[in-house]
Amino acid sequence: MIGGLAGVIDNLFGRGEAAVTVPPLDGALRPNRKLDEATSRSVLDGVDCLAIRGSTLLASAGAALFALAANGEWLLHRRFDAGVAGLSPVGGDGLAIALENGEIVIEGGLFDGRRYRTGGGGICITALAGTGANLYVAIGSATNTVRGWQRDLLERNATGSVWRIDLGSGSTTPVIENLAWPAGLVFDGDNLVCSEAWKHRLVRIDPARPNLRQVPYADLPGYPGRIAQAADGYWLALFAPRSQLVEFVLREPAYRKRMMAEVPEPYWVAPKLRSGRSFYESLQGGGVKHLGMVKPWAPTMSAGLCVKLDRAFQPRFSLQSRADGRTHGVTGVAEYDGRLYVAARGDGVIVSLPLANVPTGEGVRA
Amino acid sequence: MTPIVEVRKATKEYRGVPVVKDVSFTLRRGEVHALLGENGAGKSTLTKMISGVVQPTSGEIWIDGERAELKSPSEALRRGIAMVYQETSLIPSLTVAQNIYLMDAKRLHRLRGLYIAGQQFLQSLNFHVDPTAMVSGLGAGQKQMVEIARAVHHNAKVIVFDEPTATLTPEEKHQFFSLVARLKQRGVSIIFISHALEEALVIADRITVLRDGEHVVTDDAATFDREKIVRAMVGRNLTGELYGSSRKRKVRPAGEKVLSVQNLSMGNVLRNTSFSVFAGQITSIFGLIGSGRTEAAKVIAGVLKRDLFHGGQVRLFGRPVRYRVPRPAVRDGIIYVTEDRKVEGFFETMSIAENIYLGALAGGRTKSATVSMSEMRTIAKEWIAALDVKPGSADARVIELSGGNQQKVVVAKALVQKPRLIIFDEPTRGVDVGAIAEIHHLINRLADEGIAVLVISSYLPEILQLSDRILVCRQGRIVEEFDGHQADEETIMYAAVH
Repeated sequence: MIGGLAGVIDNLFGRGEAAVTVPPLDGALRPNRKLDEATSRSVLDGVDCLAIRGSTLLASAGAALFALAANGEWLLHRRFDAGVAGLSPVGGDGLAIALENGEIVIEGGLFDGRRYRTGGGGICITALAGTGANLYVAIGSATNTVRGWQRDLLERNATGSVWRIDLGSGSTTPVIENLAWPAGLVFDGDNLVCSEAWKHRLVRIDPARPNLRQVPYADLPGYPGRIAQAADGYWLALFAPRSQLVEFVLREPAYRKRMMAEVPEPYWVAPKLRSGRSFYESLQGGGVKHLGMVKPWAPTMSAGLCVKLDRAFQPRFSLQSRADGRTHGVTGVAEYDGRLYVAARGDGVIVSLPLANVPTGEGVRA
Repeated sequence: MTPIVEVRKATKEYRGVPVVKDVSFTLRRGEVHALLGENGAGKSTLTKMISGVVQPTSGEIWIDGERAELKSPSEALRRGIAMVYQETSLIPSLTVAQNIYLMDAKRLHRLRGLYIAGQQFLQSLNFHVDPTAMVSGLGAGQKQMVEIARAVHHNAKVIVFDEPTATLTPEEKHQFFSLVARLKQRGVSIIFISHALEEALVIADRITVLRDGEHVVTDDAATFDREKIVRAMVGRNLTGELYGSSRKRKVRPAGEKVLSVQNLSMGNVLRNTSFSVFAGQITSIFGLIGSGRTEAAKVIAGVLKRDLFHGGQVRLFGRPVRYRVPRPAVRDGIIYVTEDRKVEGFFETMSIAENIYLGALAGGRTKSATVSMSEMRTIAKEWIAALDVKPGSADARVIELSGGNQQKVVVAKALVQKPRLIIFDEPTRGVDVGAIAEIHHLINRLADEGIAVLVISSYLPEILQLSDRILVCRQGRIVEEFDGHQADEETIMYAAVH
């Protein structure tokens, strides 16, 4: 009774759970420009996923798959009839490629050429994780497509799910449902760690007992996306930052409904992979610019952010591109051949930097 | 020349415990004499004997070549000795002029005459203070001026300053130093007690160092440097333990996020402040006075209650919390160690044991549901030993302890509550160098044990020495963050003022 009353009062005064706040970018997530400072930048319009198959680094961009050549160029590897939504090595030397039409294609390895679909007619595949003859598939939403991720957030949906596909038999089984846009999957021993974007957290799931969930990392300052294995931990891509303005809008259902009905999608008050390109956008003027220059610390709907996690999924350091940066909308990260590759879909670039130059998150005090 | 004050083999005992032992001291005419020592070294007791506040158990005091038996401060004042205390003894509800002429009280006072005389007198001292202003409205520096003016008005030939600069801003300190120079020109002799060794080196003609109630050394200030003073004060070399250590030390990696302050706002004091504190790390907040550091800490710990409409959120281990009083915060493991220990830190007339036990009671850490004297003694003994509180008697009243030991009692009172997050606000203010090293060691130990530690300090060397992370607060918000091993004083100060 008192709890309920307190909730009503908190709602009235905008405090407690109703406070419109976002966690600070500090500690391991302290703002920096490491992504913009990377000297190696390859333009690949629409770049989205990165994956390593055997000894080749592959990147998807739209409906095409590119491979990194020895001279550092990205060469066309294969083209599909739908956009690529996810990549994952699987079954020996194979590669699973998820398409935006809901189909999963296997290239190479034990199951070369086979095609799969998840149950429930899921066409919103966001991430894949393969192990032996099993492929785990994250479905972001039951009602929206991959491209409709902003709508799914503004509708405050939690209709995502994770499925297991037995690549041998082709059978599909739901592992867990009612997730708020699962956007990344990675194995942690026998468990599966999933990034739940709209709840700004990572969730550890035991596929044998999916109802027992753990949250190793919560209250992230951005929307977590794909997770990649690293030599001593993991890399987490956060595809957009959280902002107080969006958090406020998310609490106003009538406003959101009308905005989605009447305002063109590029100008919604919502996180973006790239913002600040049009004067129709909601954040303008002195709020974001000083003497005509975008302030690095300005509130922004887009940014570049990837976080190094340790083996316990705790953040150690981050690589960032700030409001005025040029590496926004990070959707994929991969360690390959002594370098770290970061795919920034917002700006359509892949930046790379030597792993030796990547900070370790620990320092020595002089 | 006959010294203006001479103390010959003076000893002062409290309940049979000697606080000053066989100390001889001379003050020459027109000199500034710095009296230095750790807390509990006997500096204040020695000056209290000179200014008639206490009488020596044995030994003699000679003023102007004559033996004097000073029974009270007013008698000392008649002999030309005035004492200016750290906490000013002015009456806040009276005006400046009324305070200066307080002891000249007549049956009928003509305020206009008092203000004219006050104006002329303050001008003659070159003090820019309005004689008609209420003392409650003055800044610390101006109050100090009024104290001095009152002393000079009583024809003080000797003025004793006890920690005069502890509460002053850098600008006010500058004013104070020029004041001392002017007093010296007028032939006034000055005894200057301070923990700021650099200040003593700048303004003193001679320096006397006391240790454990005994005289260690007296010499011209020019023959001293910081290290020599520290060595004399503590009897060992602290350079490696205190500020400016060149030892390389690993910055602790962050543990779990214990506290997340998100967009905290409160009028003009806190404006969208956001920061996090992690387990097993020392996070420091540096900022100028008035930057909102203390207010943020007090809101977190429930010491300061925000109004209904103030925004933001405080999350403890990911859970939103909002404390209106400190008690639930203490129960949740948030402990705030105040910057003003004398007012908020302890009950000065209660014993060490009672103070520490109160902490245990507040934190719900007692085994017994009712007050248990035996448990009180056990807890007190444990913490007195752990923190090396001197004297080791649990029955000693806190008012009788030195500043450093008082601070240890405050810390013991906090630690007995088993904190998960401990906030130290100016942990070494008014504490001597020996105790500073011990308190720093304690803070480091807490972080090593995995407790989240937040330190608020205005003293940059302390910030640099202690911190794993340094946050800079300016105008109510956190404006910059540095790694403990990367920052330097200049960069931090630049962030704090620009």
